[in-house]
Amino acid sequence: MSAPNPEPVLEVEGLSTTFRTDEGELIAVDGIDFEVHEGETVCIVGESGSGKTVATESVTRLIKEPPGTIDGTVRFNGRDLMTLNKKELRRVRGKQIAHIFQNPQEAMNHCYSVGWQIVEALTVHDDVPKAEARARAIDLMDRVGIANASARFDDYPHEFSGGQKQRVMIAMALVGNPDLLIADEPTTALDVTVQAQILKLLNELQDDYGMSMLFVTHDLGVVAEIADRVIVMYSGKVMERAGVYDIFEQPAHPYTQALMDCIPDKGRDVGGIPGSLPNPHDPPDGCRFAPRCEHAIEDCTVGTQPEEVDLDDDHSVSCVFYQSGYDSTVVEQGGTIERSTGDGTEVEATDD
Amino acid sequence: MTEPILSVRDLKKHYPLKAGLLNRQVGAAKAVDGISFDIYPGETLGLVGESGCGKSTAATSIMHLEEPTAGEVIFNGGGRAGTSRNEDGTHPNDVTRFNKTELKSFRRDAQMIFQDPASSFNPRMPVGDAVAELLLVHGMSDRHRRRVIVEDLLERVGLSATDYDRYPHEFSGGQKQRIALARALVLNPDFIVADEPVSALDVSIKAEVLKLINDLQEEFGLSMLFISHDMSVIAKVCDRVAVMYLGEIVEIGDTDTIFESPQHPYSEALLSAIPTPDPRNRSQGIELTGEVPDPSNPPSGCRFHTRCHRVIQPEEFDLGAEEWRNVLHLRDQVAIDALELDSIRENALADRDKEETEIPDSVIKSQIRDEFDVPETLTDPALDETLGEALDYLVDEDVETATKTLKETFQTPCETEVPEHVDHGDGHRSACLRNGSEHERVELAADD
Repeated sequence: MSAPNPEPVLEVEGLSTTFRTDEGELIAVDGIDFEVHEGETVCIVGESGSGKTVATESVTRLIKEPPGTIDGTVRFNGRDLMTLNKKELRRVRGKQIAHIFQNPQEAMNHCYSVGWQIVEALTVHDDVPKAEARARAIDLMDRVGIANASARFDDYPHEFSGGQKQRVMIAMALVGNPDLLIADEPTTALDVTVQAQILKLLNELQDDYGMSMLFVTHDLGVVAEIADRVIVMYSGKVMERAGVYDIFEQPAHPYTQALMDCIPDKGRDVGGIPGSLPNPHDPPDGCRFAPRCEHAIEDCTVGTQPEEVDLDDDHSVSCVFYQSGYDSTVVEQGGTIERSTGDGTEVEATDD
Repeated sequence: MTEPILSVRDLKKHYPLKAGLLNRQVGAAKAVDGISFDIYPGETLGLVGESGCGKSTAATSIMHLEEPTAGEVIFNGGGRAGTSRNEDGTHPNDVTRFNKTELKSFRRDAQMIFQDPASSFNPRMPVGDAVAELLLVHGMSDRHRRRVIVEDLLERVGLSATDYDRYPHEFSGGQKQRIALARALVLNPDFIVADEPVSALDVSIKAEVLKLINDLQEEFGLSMLFISHDMSVIAKVCDRVAVMYLGEIVEIGDTDTIFESPQHPYSEALLSAIPTPDPRNRSQGIELTGEVPDPSNPPSGCRFHTRCHRVIQPEEFDLGAEEWRNVLHLRDQVAIDALELDSIRENALADRDKEETEIPDSVIKSQIRDEFDVPETLTDPALDETLGEALDYLVDEDVETATKTLKETFQTPCETEVPEHVDHGDGHRSACLRNGSEHERVELAADD
């Protein structure tokens, strides 16, 4: 499926992002590690406020410093992005690492035509003649599924629907033929039918361009459609990481299990996760999820976030119950057994 | 049978399109174009469809926030039950004919919740006052009683009485939506319209708010019109569903029935667009291409035929379903002259040797077929001949004749006949030609 090349495209170690605010230091991302391999799609999933967007924006240092402070190392194709100066960083941004955002409406300049904006993105990175830039922009618009691209080149953003604007944003992201595409909730503002179209497009483009993708979402339905590997984040920490099949079939962390139960599914009455995210100015001791966790015991609320325990190849979880000396069946039951009765289809499949 | 709390009959809302110096009306955007349904006491009806199909306009027209163009909205809640029509055929409970006093009392008995809780509160007013304002407007002058009622209500929607004096920015999106619910409930209405109340929320919060809506509905005995684009949300709260496309209701029935056996292809497509939480079973759904067409110039016949995956072939045709759809798509694109012959030529030229300057027509023709995924030869030789002819005209830059040739041969009943609603029993109706007896044979052929 992925990763024939052992050297990851993106390797993040000990990434912490904090903000100075009036109420003291706000810790948005609190020491996370992850890597993205060639051609692979990694999904970061979690509720609003769990730090997933800040984590991805810290990769290309889109966070304004100050008030933000980014610590840790981010190695991209072997280079540490944290040591680059502004000029070097600009060459990476948009060219080798491209971003698409949740709300295409706000990401575009409504005073310029859509074609002009794609051409601008092209000429920032490459010194191409005007006519060629135009031809390439039209090609890209065509590639992302904008019908009659050459006629729509001179149209303005308000003349496009939400789904088409997101397609234009994707076209803009592709101008530099990036190695890594960071997509931050690209389908959340869209209708379900358009969401399905955009996910399909991203999947196709990834194959065509051989890109890696770092995909941020709160919707596990989307994760199931697109991910190879999944990182579950909560309150700035990684709770669990695993391949996409493991996450859905054997969610180990109580938080992952709770997220699974939130998927609206016919016939099951779910009530969401009681409580809300901890205060980022003053996170609780021990496991960050403990105050909302139905299995929490006293040991969950002391010390720091538990070390990640490897359950399997490529599947690890940060939960007290999986450490030696604790009974992991306490938390396992909530997820694995109930899930397999939830949807009948997933049990027998053994491919890959 | 009990009396419905709300009956909508042939409701229309057209927005005039004006142009020119004299600002004459040149057409109309038919946002809602004749919808009818009933909501019974204690029931939740879901109104589902993509953006731009007129769901929200339907809601605002029903609530009389906008003047509907035509039709009746009969509201029998709030002690209006048991009336019969006047002698002139009008109904005394018709909201569209209410005068100012009647409207004010209607707006006590019917409430609305909006999609974005952040923009529906005054940022400079404590949320408790925002809720209590409704009581004041409707005549409760005792400040202390207002406060008691609102504090009690805040607790019932899962917040605390002390939240009364806090401001909107101190609450998260989910909490704001709870306050919006409290505001909708404070006048003890019989009927609530909820316009995408959970679309702006996170999954976990979404589940919480949906559960709260269900609980409150039971507790207060509410009837509800619930608008959403997401079938999975509809499944959670609705007893019945009305599927809307381009201003019309294409299917209506019990939620269970529609989920198990959708009769309209559009309902089928919407259902298959729900992302399944199963990574082993990826994107096998029906893909709905393109977007909702322009409501000022809707397609003829069945409005969905331009995007339908089950579009009907004439009886004498025998093409594959996919093949047939692609030919129709090619026909429509030729008709609006959207084919870029020059760029097709350039592409063909780029693929071939540099020395060649002329591209044989046959290459261009196969390029066109390729672009629309139409096979080199259609399975029906006679039809293939016609298609070839049309492409000849096209290559000769005679778009008009090409269009005419294609239009004469390739025609689907879906674009000429307007489908009638067919009753499937138990109030389950749908408007698709495939459901009429005449086209049943074709339906079987298209199914395999």
